[in-house]
Amino acid sequence: MKILVLNCGSSSIKYQLLDMETESVLAIGKVERVGMEDAIFEYKGSGEKIKEIGTILDHTAGVRKVLKALTDPEHGVIKDPEEISAVGHRVVHGGEAFVRSVIIDEQVKRTLRELFDLAPLHNPANLTGILAAEAALPHAPGVAVFDTAFHATMPRKAFLYALPYVMYKRHKVRRYGFHGTSHKYVSLRAAALLGKAPEEVNLITCHLGNGSSVAAVEGGKSVDTSMGFTPLAGLIMGTRAGDLDPGVIPYIMAREEIGISEVNSMLNKHSGMLGISGISSDMRQIEEEMEKGDPRAIETFEMMEYRLRKYIGAYAAALGRVDGIVFTGGIGENSPLLRRAVCQNLAYLGVTFDEEANKVRGKEQIISGPDSKVAVMVIPTNEELMIARETAELVAAR
Amino acid sequence: MSVRTWGVVGTGPNGRGIAQLVATKGLEVILVGQTDEDLAQARRQIELSLQHEIERWALTESEKRAILSRISMTTDMTEMAKADFVVTARIGDIKEDQELLRTLDQICRGEVILASNTSTLSITEMASATNRPDRVIGCHFLQPIPRTKVVQVVRGLKTSDETVAEVMALVERLDRTGVEVYESPGYITTRLIIPLINEACQLLLEGVASAEDIDTAMRLGFEMPRGPLEIADRIGLDTVLVMAERLWREYGDMKYRPAPNLKKLVRAGHLGVETGEGFFKYDADGDRIKNGGTGR
Repeated sequence: MKILVLNCGSSSIKYQLLDMETESVLAIGKVERVGMEDAIFEYKGSGEKIKEIGTILDHTAGVRKVLKALTDPEHGVIKDPEEISAVGHRVVHGGEAFVRSVIIDEQVKRTLRELFDLAPLHNPANLTGILAAEAALPHAPGVAVFDTAFHATMPRKAFLYALPYVMYKRHKVRRYGFHGTSHKYVSLRAAALLGKAPEEVNLITCHLGNGSSVAAVEGGKSVDTSMGFTPLAGLIMGTRAGDLDPGVIPYIMAREEIGISEVNSMLNKHSGMLGISGISSDMRQIEEEMEKGDPRAIETFEMMEYRLRKYIGAYAAALGRVDGIVFTGGIGENSPLLRRAVCQNLAYLGVTFDEEANKVRGKEQIISGPDSKVAVMVIPTNEELMIARETAELVAAR
Repeated sequence: MSVRTWGVVGTGPNGRGIAQLVATKGLEVILVGQTDEDLAQARRQIELSLQHEIERWALTESEKRAILSRISMTTDMTEMAKADFVVTARIGDIKEDQELLRTLDQICRGEVILASNTSTLSITEMASATNRPDRVIGCHFLQPIPRTKVVQVVRGLKTSDETVAEVMALVERLDRTGVEVYESPGYITTRLIIPLINEACQLLLEGVASAEDIDTAMRLGFEMPRGPLEIADRIGLDTVLVMAERLWREYGDMKYRPAPNLKKLVRAGHLGVETGEGFFKYDADGDRIKNGGTGR
């Protein structure tokens, strides 16, 4: 079975074609600047990587262009679009309506539209991608896989905010959490690495990338996570502030004489690592400046590590017993420095640390010592594979 | 028809403002100016304005670069052939605007809507210079254009319902609210704000209250973000004067007759924020200098 995985932004399409017999990637690429005369098309199939610039007026044209490349006699990987059994779509926000992946029908699309308010930047683009795939591949069923769905198992005490209850009833203001597909994938892999069933292990999964979140996973189910109603809560991220005193926001608005959109932009784009360090939103650059002894880079790193460690402590308390801690995402997979800094401070959990193993970048590895009470693991995430698996499963069970 | 590229004619504050707004919303802009110097000046002003947005935390450096890359500038009017929608924002009289519309009518594709940003000239008269009077409309953005959330969409006598609906959708695409008005000098906003400013000038002239107190009373009394005299400084007192005179001429009603102290300030070159001084004093960023009231 071959599955096309699509991740659509407002002017972009990221895609992968996977062969589910072997779970291997047949082709991968992206389309950027959709809607423009100088759109960028990138494709890597059986041969050399291809890059073209030309007119791609909408997402449907973009998906058609992808299909054309996939079936190209020279660098294509399939003969006929009919070979694609189904399309898996990444959808950012499932709200309370979607607690697991679903096969897309008219009702699903209607509900997705109703959820636009919760994720105004992402969900409309995701729906555009769904409609484009339906137009270009009418034979292939679509499956929506939600960033929020894995966290739907959180208990009420973890997802409600202590606001007037009517805010939840009226506006659905609550914790949803994000990066669910990634947290789910790595927690399944972690259980496998530990040689146990997912139901038997308690994990703290740390997805650390440009956006970052931590999840407490009890027996394979998310019971708490650091992102909330929006992806702005929790850890210190590239340009996002993460947790702060909500009282700061009206104070800043009054003192800086700015409005809602400006303060939103400040919290989302001017804060986090970039905001504190004044150097970069990129962890690699922060680490480079740290090595040169830059005091602000050092402080930024210390703040990030401290916030992350506090969350690990909080989730250890929430879970009661921790069998494993997982690092994933761009930073989690590639920053031995951050992993060491966190783990050195977790002796109270019985964590011991393997310096040599920690040197790993971007592949699965246990980095705790053999005597460690908690296994610490690096597991590269693979959201596309997870989406493809859920798609294949749903379509097969139809 | 989907509009991807806006054509904007005019490099003054209105043309620049529209170009900046449209590019900020992710659409392409072709800005036509009369000379290369005008265009270079417009680019500097837009850069400055975007820089100001960064300082207000509204944008990032990379967003600024992307916005600027979406604005192409030219002195060649025939470039408007590439535009999907054209708005003119040149300050002139009806003859000049008719001439401009006639030229655009020849250059632009038949289905393209031609809009004017005018607040006082007749859309119907402008439309009569073209072969597409049903596709000519008024589209009046208010200063400061990158921030003001309302656009007055003005029907000329022959403007079609379809054209109005399309422009309303374009305005919504810019996250603006469109209000539909029939052609009438001053529309809603100019017609209401000019008498208010003029009456504030009168109060000041009669020595009833200081400029500071007039604005404070209106700000706090009616929850206005700014008082009428500061609003006048921000519009530009020369513009306020021109608008008042036009309304006076059109309607013949004494309530529009410009107050003498308004005229006096304009003659003295105190035009408001742009010159750093009007009813109040302003710094280079256009921020009020506290306690800087001139007391005029």
